[in-house]
Amino acid sequence: MGKAVTLSASDLLMRLLAFILTLAAAIVIATDKQTKLVPIQISDSLPPLHVPLTAKWDQMSAVLYFLVTNAIACTYGALSLVVAVVNRGKSKGLWTVMIVLDALVVALLFSGNGAAAAVGVLGYKGNSHVNWKKVCNVFDKFCGQMAVSIGVSLIGSLAFLLLVIIPVVRLHRRTWSINN
Amino acid sequence: MASTDKPVDTEYSRPTSSAQAPAGVDLFKFDVILRFLLFAASLVSVVVIVTGNETKYIPLPRPAKFRYSPAFVYFVAALSVAGLYSIITTLASLYAIKNPALKAKLLLYFILWDALILGIIASATGTAGGVAYVGLKGNKHVNWNKICNVYDKFCRHVGASVAVALFGSIVTVLLIWISAYSLHSRVPK
Repeated sequence: MGKAVTLSASDLLMRLLAFILTLAAAIVIATDKQTKLVPIQISDSLPPLHVPLTAKWDQMSAVLYFLVTNAIACTYGALSLVVAVVNRGKSKGLWTVMIVLDALVVALLFSGNGAAAAVGVLGYKGNSHVNWKKVCNVFDKFCGQMAVSIGVSLIGSLAFLLLVIIPVVRLHRRTWSINN
Repeated sequence: MASTDKPVDTEYSRPTSSAQAPAGVDLFKFDVILRFLLFAASLVSVVVIVTGNETKYIPLPRPAKFRYSPAFVYFVAALSVAGLYSIITTLASLYAIKNPALKAKLLLYFILWDALILGIIASATGTAGGVAYVGLKGNKHVNWNKICNVYDKFCRHVGASVAVALFGSIVTVLLIWISAYSLHSRVPK
């Protein structure tokens, strides 16, 4: 009987995909910066003053947290890819440790996505109840780039989720066919 | 001579299934306890944030409710789903303790669904936490003023709710770990 725990090419490809996607999301958000001349009305008699305002990712803690979680996930993706290739399914304990760490990274990534998405929706629609004005009508490119980054990171977190689910399904199918 | 050959033959021709499928470690008792904790955490989270409505008169009455923020609405919805899921799986886990034949199959489904629910709970925690942090500290770059100096009871409720939801996501991670470890111990060498 062959080993019940094997490593298939699809697992490695999924890990590579997750690594690439989270890396892309981190890079896209880290390079997100937009400067715009915003007309500010000091008083009714004077013409509006054009002030250059910059929107950058580091101005909001939620976006910083999003960047950090993507960086952690990307690093973990690279390290686990190397370990998986070197190990090639020989150790059953390593497989379990990887599922454990994958679950942790899934939780981290999803929470980062949620935080960035919440702040993005706030910037897009504002919140009239607490007088938080929307900013995406002014900084449209910044908001668009952030939306792209969140979308890419979401697909990356789905890849990590599948990394938890698929090996377990495969293992269960194998043990089921061995026992029956 | 023929009679002594027979036991050897049957030993080699039929692989002993008991040696190939180890019984594995049984952590279902911890599983039930953790699932009940998840249910308790989801319930407490939802109740605490829903009862956190506060009205301040400045001088017009300005209420603060969780419904006013789509992030908090998503938080309540996600945690309600998690609470419902935890009830169902607690009952399933209790049933599996009574019928041990179901255990192996149940472990698979537990890991699957626990992973999905983990995604939901973690994203809800992050969403509500991010918005609550902006409400706590404000953000001068976008001129979003902090509100927690005015709405202290509301902020306390939201903060407590997010903290309990964080505990709930940790419990879900532990559930996945337990199921993975149980599955690992059942895999034949």
